[in-house]
Amino acid sequence: MSISTPAGDNKRRPSVVSTGKKPPAGKSSSTDTTSGGKSPSSTATKASASKAAPGKTAAGKAGGTTSRPGGKPGASGGGKGRKPIAPVKVSQGRSWGPIAMFVAVGVLAAGIIGYGAWAAFKGSQPWEKKAADISGIVNYRDNPDKTLTEANHAWGPLTYKLTPPVGGNHNYNWQNCMGDVYDAPIANEHAVHSMEHGAVWVAYKSGLAADQVEKLASKVRGNEYMLMSPVDNLDSNVSLQAWGYQLKLDSVDDGRIDQFISALRQNATIEAGATCSGGITATGTTPRDIGKDQQQQGG
Amino acid sequence: MSVSVESEPESPEIDDAVPPARRRFGASGWLAAGVALGLLLGLVAGLLIVPTLTRPGEDSAEAGFARDMSTHHAQAVEMGMLAHQKASDSDVRTLGGDIALTQQAQIGMMQTWLREWKLGPTSSRPRMAWMPEGSAGLQNGLMPGMATDAEREQLRNATGNAFDVLFLQLMLKHHLGGIHMAEEVLKLTDDAEVRRLAQGMVNNQRNEVAAFQQLLKKLGAPA
Repeated sequence: MSISTPAGDNKRRPSVVSTGKKPPAGKSSSTDTTSGGKSPSSTATKASASKAAPGKTAAGKAGGTTSRPGGKPGASGGGKGRKPIAPVKVSQGRSWGPIAMFVAVGVLAAGIIGYGAWAAFKGSQPWEKKAADISGIVNYRDNPDKTLTEANHAWGPLTYKLTPPVGGNHNYNWQNCMGDVYDAPIANEHAVHSMEHGAVWVAYKSGLAADQVEKLASKVRGNEYMLMSPVDNLDSNVSLQAWGYQLKLDSVDDGRIDQFISALRQNATIEAGATCSGGITATGTTPRDIGKDQQQQGG
Repeated sequence: MSVSVESEPESPEIDDAVPPARRRFGASGWLAAGVALGLLLGLVAGLLIVPTLTRPGEDSAEAGFARDMSTHHAQAVEMGMLAHQKASDSDVRTLGGDIALTQQAQIGMMQTWLREWKLGPTSSRPRMAWMPEGSAGLQNGLMPGMATDAEREQLRNATGNAFDVLFLQLMLKHHLGGIHMAEEVLKLTDDAEVRRLAQGMVNNQRNEVAAFQQLLKKLGAPA
């Protein structure tokens, strides 16, 4: 391949220039030397080339623009010399390059498009699907008992069927959920309100080892829509809650903790745009009815 | 010579070369058709997929900025609301309300981007991972300028002039961190909307930093 191109250029140049002068001797002879022993064919081609040149010049003079008629005689003269050299095998050899390139480009393009499509599909998966894919997660939104996910405001202590609860009626005030890590149990009535706002509540069994607690805390601290607290008499070491969802786990190293947070934090809100700041920051399981007096006075 | 002849010498002998040229045209015709088909398929696929590929992706700087700045802003809203409720100085009270309202609105804008980009509001990626050497800027896992849990508690418990001063000091530090993050995303994105908001944050928060410094001077405290 590398040989044919320069050789072709050398051949072409005289014919294109075609000023009536003979093709530069030096160049054609150098072509001959590269082609080696096939002297008969090369001489024939050289002859045809030199014939074609005057032919073209004549045509150019006569017709001005018509180069075709001029080309004919010269070309037909050269035909004899050319035919024996069947270029088939050579052209077979050259076409592998482009073919391989196109195949490679095609495969690459298919790969890129395929990946894009896959990423688009994966990325556009709704959070509900991502939540459903977490093994062991319980979706209480589908539960026939709708009191589990009721969302009315109420004062005073409330009872919840689940420990910890995942929804239900709750206090007017929410627990602050700006990545707050509470070191003592908090009121369900406030925490449920935080989950209504989109928070993930990380609950752990009271008395869990400090290093285990710290592992959980590192996932919570500094992240809004997250809060964490110990829960007495929890039936597992860790229990993750978001509005209508729960996942109970035994290990703080379980990879599903991150999965749960990633799928549900902020997504699980039933009050889009509601915030986590301005809430109750105190601990204690008795709800704080802040604002109740004013409300009663007001009507 | 055989090598050279088959390639270019059609020019000297154009008409002789017609039959092989036609054959070659046949081959290259197929090739052209194949390329055309490929381009057509690419166009169809492109029309469907390009919108996905051109909007910021899960790990993009734009998405990382939108998520991290939402969190950063959320803390400014928390502190701003505290100032709005309990600052003694009326200028500090006004500034607190201004910061809370502005930054909450900006959180809404950034969250809307993420929805339009078909991305989740949060990510399990480390904070600041969208910034070159961003994670080096974290302090105890917190983004630059963020108040620690201890500082937040201190602020909640502070009263009177001490509250005003602490609020101004914490918010000054908070804004400097925020300005840094906004300047970083300006280096990384061409997205017009992201640039508009980030540049606005830089300009606005710089002005507010100057206001904090003036107020701290007025209250007789170091900046």
